[in-house]
Amino acid sequence: MGEVILTMKGIDKSFPGVHALDHVDLELRKGEVHALMGENGAGKSTLMKVLTGIYTKDSGTITFEGKEVEFHNTHEAQEAGIVIVHQELNMVGDLTVAQNIFIGREFKKGIMIDDKKMIAESRKLFDELHIDIDPKAKMSDLTVGKQQMCEIAKAISHKAKVIIFDEPSAALTEKEIEDLFVIIRDLRKQNLGIIYISHRMDEIKVITDRVTVMRDGGYVGTLITEECTKEDIINMMVGRVIYEDPKTHSMVPDDAPVVLKVEHLNAGKMVQDVSFELKKGEILGFSGLMGAGRTETARALFGADPKTGGDIYINGQKVTINSPEDAVKHGIGYLSEDRKRYGIVVQKTITENSTMATMEKFTSGLFINKGAEKKAAEQYIKELATKTPSADELVVNLSGGNQQKVVIAKWLVRNCDILIFDEPTRGIDVGAKNEIYKLMNRLAAEGKSIIMISSEMTEILRMSDRIVVMCEGKKTGEIRIEDATQEAIMDKATRDIN
Amino acid sequence: MEGIKQNPIVKKLGFNRIILFCILVLLYVAFSIAIPGFAGMARIMSILNYVYFLGFLALGVTFVIATGGIDFSIGPVMFCCALIAGYSLNTYKLPVAAALLLSIVIGFCFGIFNGWLVAFVGVPPFIVSMASMNIAKGLGSVFTKTQSVSWPQANDPEGRGWFRNLVKVGGVPTGLIIFAIFVVILFIIMNNTKPGRYILSLGSNKEAVRLSGVNVRKWQMLAYVICGTLVGIAAIFFVGAYTTVQPGLGDTYNNEAIASCVMGGTSMAGGLASIGGTVIGVFVISLLQEGIMALRMTKEVQMIITGLIVIVFVYADVSARRRKN
Repeated sequence: MGEVILTMKGIDKSFPGVHALDHVDLELRKGEVHALMGENGAGKSTLMKVLTGIYTKDSGTITFEGKEVEFHNTHEAQEAGIVIVHQELNMVGDLTVAQNIFIGREFKKGIMIDDKKMIAESRKLFDELHIDIDPKAKMSDLTVGKQQMCEIAKAISHKAKVIIFDEPSAALTEKEIEDLFVIIRDLRKQNLGIIYISHRMDEIKVITDRVTVMRDGGYVGTLITEECTKEDIINMMVGRVIYEDPKTHSMVPDDAPVVLKVEHLNAGKMVQDVSFELKKGEILGFSGLMGAGRTETARALFGADPKTGGDIYINGQKVTINSPEDAVKHGIGYLSEDRKRYGIVVQKTITENSTMATMEKFTSGLFINKGAEKKAAEQYIKELATKTPSADELVVNLSGGNQQKVVIAKWLVRNCDILIFDEPTRGIDVGAKNEIYKLMNRLAAEGKSIIMISSEMTEILRMSDRIVVMCEGKKTGEIRIEDATQEAIMDKATRDIN
Repeated sequence: MEGIKQNPIVKKLGFNRIILFCILVLLYVAFSIAIPGFAGMARIMSILNYVYFLGFLALGVTFVIATGGIDFSIGPVMFCCALIAGYSLNTYKLPVAAALLLSIVIGFCFGIFNGWLVAFVGVPPFIVSMASMNIAKGLGSVFTKTQSVSWPQANDPEGRGWFRNLVKVGGVPTGLIIFAIFVVILFIIMNNTKPGRYILSLGSNKEAVRLSGVNVRKWQMLAYVICGTLVGIAAIFFVGAYTTVQPGLGDTYNNEAIASCVMGGTSMAGGLASIGGTVIGVFVISLLQEGIMALRMTKEVQMIITGLIVIVFVYADVSARRRKN
């Protein structure tokens, strides 16, 4: 490790209602691979966005190569030599590798683009990195791993001094990860500073020199990788904070009937051989880090995405679910994590949204019984304490929490026995959160069975009777609430199963 | 201004529709002043002839636009219906009633074809309707061997002219009565039935409706079938008023029908549709057409005007949405 190249000190950033970064520090040296770790929502991405000029910090200082800097956009950061290799690759599939690398700053010969020079320059870059990629190949013909290498080459071509890798290994195979590490080590040798964001504990141990851990938007500490264990890092990630009233024991009797049994569910890379049972009156928590495949599992179960295999039993009966229509017929309701896109029809009224899944109950022949429909909507407005002037209000005019209640009402009107709540309190303020927790407990007490996907550890520990943990498309554990601790969950959620 | 908009009666009728209705009245007054002899029953009957067929086209395409789709084939399909049915009537001696039915069936089939491709195969509506526009033109030409087709006159010696009673009987505009009945039925379908509810909802957020357990493809396809069927009916009123159809034409009516919809407050983005608004829009376009002809200007002038109308109203819709967000 060489001298310090980048220092971020006391970085503070607030969004309306959220203190996203609370005086965070980060120090990066030349020739260092520095891991940035933390749970979902710990503030890693926000910090990197502040660094690269996507967000403006409220306070704090960034010192780069001895000078205090402030970038206003990614372009300025790039010019200075700080580039980010995104998790989602930003490549144009139909252009060649060379065209992608020099997009926006093409070499010209007169007014014509000088493709030859771009190809030659790309080749030079690849040689430097010891990568074997044809600059004339079409980007979409490359594997994800190779595309990532191109991203890296592009980053280097900006004369980068600091490269940020945002979960680079998420989409890569084992072999590709090895290749990536060869390149990263090479870059380290060239005295670049590298920030490496990843959830994979084992990778962190292999590739990084130091680890900075963040939690809830705050800075927890920096460790030297060699000197710490995986457990040390996990402890720092979850903290020692006592969270409000976690559930101490399951509310479900041992002999409660199994209402839903999923066996060997498969759907692409994100759902691999997932099996679990759901009991009557149970809240089954699904925990895991971002990209663990929890939402994908729920969507495959619900028939929203095609599955490649697996059996589903409801009340002991094997059922076929190929579409949401089938799922709803079998009494399953799904609250999506992305309310606006998948949950509500914003330009329609509360009434119309509430009865969306249960039209047949409110129609005689073809005609809608608008009176009955409105009455049902009003009943649930009252029951769920939805704040609205009337049932005729357009959903677009409601707050996030109240929109969520409308989605819940949709499934309660339907009287579904199995409810999948995917991130039920995301983007909802604290008061409304508590109301939704109470409601879920009440529904469970009434005998409904709930699958709750949540990225918030507190939520998982507070609500679940049992916890399923997933990592990279596979179920990595099942924990009884009596045995559940944050450490135990995090251990399974970061288990590298490769 | 805001106060007027919040008035319950105004809200019920729709502020924009009231404005559009005022424009319609003003336009009529303006034409009547500018053109001697414009006011009077003769012109009104002539305008109504245009209202009928354009009305059915526009009402049909309202359902498609409500789903967030578009149909550029309605005009040519209408001509295709009129050509094939009329040719069968003249050449194969099909009874008039059967010919009328055939016209509706052809429109219905085009609706199924378009709807199936859009909803089940997943071809973009723009492409589907462009293709079926050409198919309709080609089919009409091939079937009639590129001859224009004239439907029987009212005084047809074989008594086949009775279908013209659908348009008018003496001085009584029977077409208006039939049109009004359809408007009421379609209004109810759009606003008070399950198909209408689903069509509008999926136009607004198809994925959310699908995840509510609704078979969205079925309802999306239905919108095109309703449209096609109404286009088949439009063909009957077209020949009832204008007698002769030529192969290879009909595109201009697409723009006029779509202009009627967007003027009436149907959003090109889908999810919002107004049957009443479309009807007023149809009257405005029909009046414009009559007025422009009376001013001795050509059809081309009208095409420019309807083109501009579409742009202005779509822009108004888009910017209103942007403000809301």
